[in-house]
Amino acid sequence: MADAAAIAERTFREESGRALATLARLLGDLSAAEDAVQEAFVEAMRTWPVRGVPDRPGAWITTTARNRAVDRARREAGRGRREREASTVWSLPAEPDPPPSPVEEVLVPVDDDQLRLIFTCCHPALAPAAQVGLTLRLVCGLRISEIARAFLQPEPTVAQRLSRAKAKIRAAGIPFRVPPAHLLPERVPPVLACIYLVFTEGYSASAGDALVRHELCDEAVRLARLLVELMPDEPEAHGLAALVLLQDSRRAARLSPAGDIVLLEDQDRSRWDRDRIAAGLGALGRATRLAGGRGPGPYTLQAAIAAAHARAQSWAATDWPAIAARYADLAAVAPSPVVELNRAVAVSFAAGPEAGLAVLDAVAGDRRLARTHLVPAARADMLRRLGRPAEAADAYRTAAARARTGPERAFFARRLAECEGAGG
Amino acid sequence: MQYVALLGTDERTAPAPGSDEYNANLGGYAAFSERNGAAIVDAAPLQRSDTATTIRHTDDPPLVTDGPYAESAEAIGGYYVLEAETLDDAIELARQIPVAEVGWVSIRPAVGWWDYTGGEGAEGADRWLALMYGKEEPDSGPGTDAWAEMAAAHQAFVASQADARTITAGGAVHPLDTATTVRVRDGEVLVTDGPYAESAEVTGGLYVLSAADRDAAVALASRIPSRPGGAVEVRPLHVLPAG
Repeated sequence: MADAAAIAERTFREESGRALATLARLLGDLSAAEDAVQEAFVEAMRTWPVRGVPDRPGAWITTTARNRAVDRARREAGRGRREREASTVWSLPAEPDPPPSPVEEVLVPVDDDQLRLIFTCCHPALAPAAQVGLTLRLVCGLRISEIARAFLQPEPTVAQRLSRAKAKIRAAGIPFRVPPAHLLPERVPPVLACIYLVFTEGYSASAGDALVRHELCDEAVRLARLLVELMPDEPEAHGLAALVLLQDSRRAARLSPAGDIVLLEDQDRSRWDRDRIAAGLGALGRATRLAGGRGPGPYTLQAAIAAAHARAQSWAATDWPAIAARYADLAAVAPSPVVELNRAVAVSFAAGPEAGLAVLDAVAGDRRLARTHLVPAARADMLRRLGRPAEAADAYRTAAARARTGPERAFFARRLAECEGAGG
Repeated sequence: MQYVALLGTDERTAPAPGSDEYNANLGGYAAFSERNGAAIVDAAPLQRSDTATTIRHTDDPPLVTDGPYAESAEAIGGYYVLEAETLDDAIELARQIPVAEVGWVSIRPAVGWWDYTGGEGAEGADRWLALMYGKEEPDSGPGTDAWAEMAAAHQAFVASQADARTITAGGAVHPLDTATTVRVRDGEVLVTDGPYAESAEVTGGLYVLSAADRDAAVALASRIPSRPGGAVEVRPLHVLPAG
């Protein structure tokens, strides 16, 4: 029985994201769709473990949830009418037509609805944190408690953020649709950014003592693959999938058994996930082909950099000049101080730490990097390699003071001890 | 749906209403109206914020002071009421408003916008805009009892002025959480969640008043229903040159 319940619950969660998207379109309201899916969940947990999971669970969820929503709307219709009669000026707009009767026909989830849902969740009129929360809740089907745990935030904070976002979608008229072609160049980047934010938050947590939050990495990989299925002609969707897959291939090698960070340089490359790498390289090839004469976009370029690492048999065999060149390309399409900093690191390996320091100095004063550990950490490493341990130690001290997570701090402290041991 | 778009500028750098530079910019607004006439329900430019009078309902009787509700270089310079099917359509309109390229356009979904006098005002009177401000109470938005209570008070206020034709139009907007700010920089449209400045953004709604002089406008605006602690800023509309 316990197994039957677990299978029922897992199946429901896997199928419910698609069902919710279709319900959101049918009902014209995200919260109503969420409530309806929740009611279907209760019904499923009552019947599935006993009678078995239906042959087409997605269709079962969609149909059951839709009929529950119709029942509810009919119950509430009478009350709404009374409220509307109370006020004629400054009142709410008229309710839509009375809801139709429950249907006997079987409804099936529609893929396009999932893409509509993704664009709605990642609408630029919603704050990035709300976009990420909505996407994880509605597209991935994560519970509020799971999102709160993943982002180390109190559950009520996450719940309130999501309910505000849904209220805005409703009140401000954020449409439930795939944007028309002329808007896609503006609207695809926030979707990509949202999925990548889920990944980076999982892969390199911004707070706390755990460096990797595996559940977020997994959801980001799932989302990136889903987006490729839904937008097969969009080069940057493939580019994002490639980037996420290639970076994620190193997840297991990135942490020591004690949970400490392991630098790319020191990673056991036999622990890299070869399936992820193969899938990532395939996606990168498709992204590059689809981009054609337009040239690769920022996610594709970052994926190309990740691919250069993935292809290298060892740290020493890394094609640093190629990586430095891709960072230069990236700086041209998406200028940012972090890109310049990474280019400095690549140059330091391609042409020596002195050359790297020159690039780093040019970007070190950027206000956007001022409070991060990134510049002192990069500088410290270049100075260490140049055999200037005293200066390197100073830089490691600054980096340690600015580090955000326990494992990062521990890493800088280890390096600092090495430099001090070297007579600095 | 209807949306109230508040146009924001930096008064330190924006041309003053009536100046040659200001008038030179009017062509852009005329072109916007030409293109989107069907979507424009109402619109008017405002005089500068230093022409404002603010009525604060912190005491009884309310405190009346010269100047805007929030002292800030960034100030509202006009408004549009737009008819648009979705927020995306409203953003498409907002991005074309010339001020989006130098200042900002804050889009608020309207609960409604009402023309009370068919565009006519009291004879010989000027137009004034009354902007409602103040902290939003939680759970006071559309659909709540608190909202219904305020709506009834506004309804009574509007009814009390029907014969005098001193309220020509008015609208109620959804809470600040539903605001979206649109800016255009170097041809790129920047859309962000929330109002431009949380502390200086209309809460509740706005009225267009018709009053012979400032005293009459302030007297009328002080009767606009307000929660304790709320405020109403009254500002003359800027009358555009004929033609």
